[in-house]
Amino acid sequence: MIEMARDTKPVSLATRAVAAALFFAVSLALAPVLRADDSARAKALSKKVMCMCGGCNDTAGTCNHTGGAFSGPCDTAKAMQKEVSQRVDRGDSDDLILQSFVQEYGPTVLPDPPKKGFTSLVWIAPVVAPLIALFLIWEVVRRWRRRVALAPAGGPAIPPELLDRARKEASRHSDE
Amino acid sequence: MDIFGSFALLLAFLATVYAFVAGIVGILTRRTLLAKSARNAGMAVFGLITLAVASLEYFFFTDDFSLAYVAAHSNHALPIYYKFSALWAGQEGSLLWWSWLLSIYVFFALFLNRKKHPELMPYVGVTLAGVQTFFLILNNFVASPFHVLASADSAGVMHMARLSEGSGLNPLLQYPEMVIHPPMLYLGYTGFTIPFAFALAALLGRYPGEKWIHITRRWTMVAWCFQGIGVLLGAHWAYAVLGWGGYWAWDPVENAALLPWITGTAFLHSVMMQEKRGMMRVWNVWLVFITFMLCILGTSLTRTGIVSSVHAFAESSIGGWFFGFLAIVFVVCLAAWYKNRDYLRSDNQLDSLVSRESSFLFNNLILLAACFAVLWGTLFPVLSEWVTGNKISVGPPFFNKVNVPIALFLLFLTGVGPLLAWRKTSTDALKRNFAWPLAGGLLAGGAGFAFGFRSFYPLVCLILSAFVTLTIFSEFYRGARVIASRDGSNLLSAVGELTMRNTRRYGGYVVHFAMVLIFVGIAGSAFNQDIQKELKVGQSLTIGPYTILCQNFDQPSTDNYQSERATLEVFRNGHSQMMLYPERRLFLASQVTETIVANESTPVHDLYVVYAGRSPDTNLPVIHAYLNPLVKWIWFGGIVMVLGTCLAMIPDRRPAMVLRPATERPWSDTIARRAGGSPAASPVTSSPIRKSGPHD
Repeated sequence: MIEMARDTKPVSLATRAVAAALFFAVSLALAPVLRADDSARAKALSKKVMCMCGGCNDTAGTCNHTGGAFSGPCDTAKAMQKEVSQRVDRGDSDDLILQSFVQEYGPTVLPDPPKKGFTSLVWIAPVVAPLIALFLIWEVVRRWRRRVALAPAGGPAIPPELLDRARKEASRHSDE
Repeated sequence: MDIFGSFALLLAFLATVYAFVAGIVGILTRRTLLAKSARNAGMAVFGLITLAVASLEYFFFTDDFSLAYVAAHSNHALPIYYKFSALWAGQEGSLLWWSWLLSIYVFFALFLNRKKHPELMPYVGVTLAGVQTFFLILNNFVASPFHVLASADSAGVMHMARLSEGSGLNPLLQYPEMVIHPPMLYLGYTGFTIPFAFALAALLGRYPGEKWIHITRRWTMVAWCFQGIGVLLGAHWAYAVLGWGGYWAWDPVENAALLPWITGTAFLHSVMMQEKRGMMRVWNVWLVFITFMLCILGTSLTRTGIVSSVHAFAESSIGGWFFGFLAIVFVVCLAAWYKNRDYLRSDNQLDSLVSRESSFLFNNLILLAACFAVLWGTLFPVLSEWVTGNKISVGPPFFNKVNVPIALFLLFLTGVGPLLAWRKTSTDALKRNFAWPLAGGLLAGGAGFAFGFRSFYPLVCLILSAFVTLTIFSEFYRGARVIASRDGSNLLSAVGELTMRNTRRYGGYVVHFAMVLIFVGIAGSAFNQDIQKELKVGQSLTIGPYTILCQNFDQPSTDNYQSERATLEVFRNGHSQMMLYPERRLFLASQVTETIVANESTPVHDLYVVYAGRSPDTNLPVIHAYLNPLVKWIWFGGIVMVLGTCLAMIPDRRPAMVLRPATERPWSDTIARRAGGSPAASPVTSSPIRKSGPHD
């Protein structure tokens, strides 16, 4: 009965507003996506190889440290950017271009470590660690919830240490 | 003068060792006088290091290049304010600077508490002296800034040498922000020592209750705020000076500065669990331990060269000292915790999963996940090389991929968490609190989409930003409305009144709003455009709505540098808007070139133009123009963050409740009733004797 009564409750204006906004957002999501042209491709690719000057931890496309003729991309990064755009102009595929860089410099040239062997750990850990933490939190929370369930519901005599704890808690709340 | 400085530094070392040893003996033998003497020694260290700093500055200001450090980082032509900041331009000086800032904190922590907490303070003094000792060992024996230049003659006799000119300050550091960025960041790094020392002291001395958290709350916020300012100033400097059109590259040293800020944020939130509910005592202690250790790790990353970074000082053998110190800190923390872990036992209870408590648990989980991901990515190349022997790179794309979803979830919690009540939130309250903000967020998302936002993450960020902003404003509005209707005041003054009654809560909201601004600014980077083109005089390039016409190239020069400069006229819709003068300077003393970016910044976007030198093929000047949307929001968010933090540190204004007739309901209950069961409605927190604000 209670369930039914809840069902027949009129839908509030706020709920309608949420529904309308959701509908609006979803319907707009069916628009086409722009395609990148060649220079954008070269730019994107140069951000997929590390600057190999050995002094920074940037990609060739975003290298920002002083070096060579002017600050901003160093000479190494500039040379790498140039190589990328030449290969893009030649019509090489993304994979081929990246592969040639790996052959030249070794796997260090990829900013994204390969997802195999030991290095796959770099990807796995940031996902797995929070999941383990979440599981631990879940366990802890379950224990805390059980404590609530087991807490005495009150009775004729309240033990003094419980009273003491209540007083402490009260003072804590009134402190801030 | 060099003898004066190094002697002061040596005395400081002896004083801090005395503070450490006498402090321990005082605690063990329970001699109050000895403990007091140790405390005074700890405070004296500040004066002694000040003398050392002053003496080093004297060398800089008098252009005395007999010290190796001064000769390496200054020259006659250097402007006077950069002579001041040259103090921390290198390894030795910056470590001295570190020690000095730490000694300021130590002095004030000991001085302000000299008549309080007599059981706790000796332990605090010992901990602080321990940390100070480590840095003074470095200052005195490992990286002294007072090394004189000397050379041996043919007979092998050493003679002091005084150079007539120094090699000058790195021009990248000749920028106003570089005068304030390192002090801010270091004030953050060193500031976390105070909560760390109090936490360890409370644990070692088994100091009862949540007192250490109350004592250190403002200290932690100060350190946290400085760290945040330091990180943002660093980002702004990278943007304004380096000329690559970006502000954050996930460089190991940027990451290192971010890490303690993240765990500090987690700590600032989770202490509320302990204060209000007595929960998470172990967690909080460890959180502050970790934060401190990350501060030490952060500063060591800059100095040891174990990870490649644009920031790194020259590689040196100092790494062993840092890692040794880290190991000692870890062992001490572990032992203190193990020995006294029963003292931290807390009465954790969770009444409902939909509650403030669980939102804080999530907040901590997400912040720690972000911290772990950044730390893991930063150190993984080292780990990988150690395990497999192969060097690999973990570049910016990794950090973006991992951290963007984490950050967005955090933004979501920023909106949800504060509106959940302690203990339990009813479904009705959930609907009432969230319906409108959620609707607003989705509408903003829809509107964004209609205006051409197509990327997933920026769209989510827009929705969440609108959602969080609306929840914050609705909190202010609902609280203020109640006060306004009761006092008959206008809404604006009621907002002020509300804020001043619970500065911590409403200051916190202001900081949350600052984070929204920063998130919006960062999301703008998804729409960055840039174009690079060789330009002859009279030619132009087009980016976004702007056309940039090249008017002239010239070579203005001064005593300090030679320069190449472009004069560009910017048109929008055919109308001339402004002139820009991007420049490239060659600094004569150091023979280093630097880009002077021409950046026209508005709240909508930055038109950021770089003179990128001459093309090696055609010898024509190359202009690189960027159009970066919303960047200004990040810096503005930083200012709001500082204001919010300051607000949260002001003591609450207590309402004058005594004057009211006894029959009237307490105002907190009234507000709770009118606001309709917002968090204040929870049975535990509404009480006639409450001193704090309406929805605490």
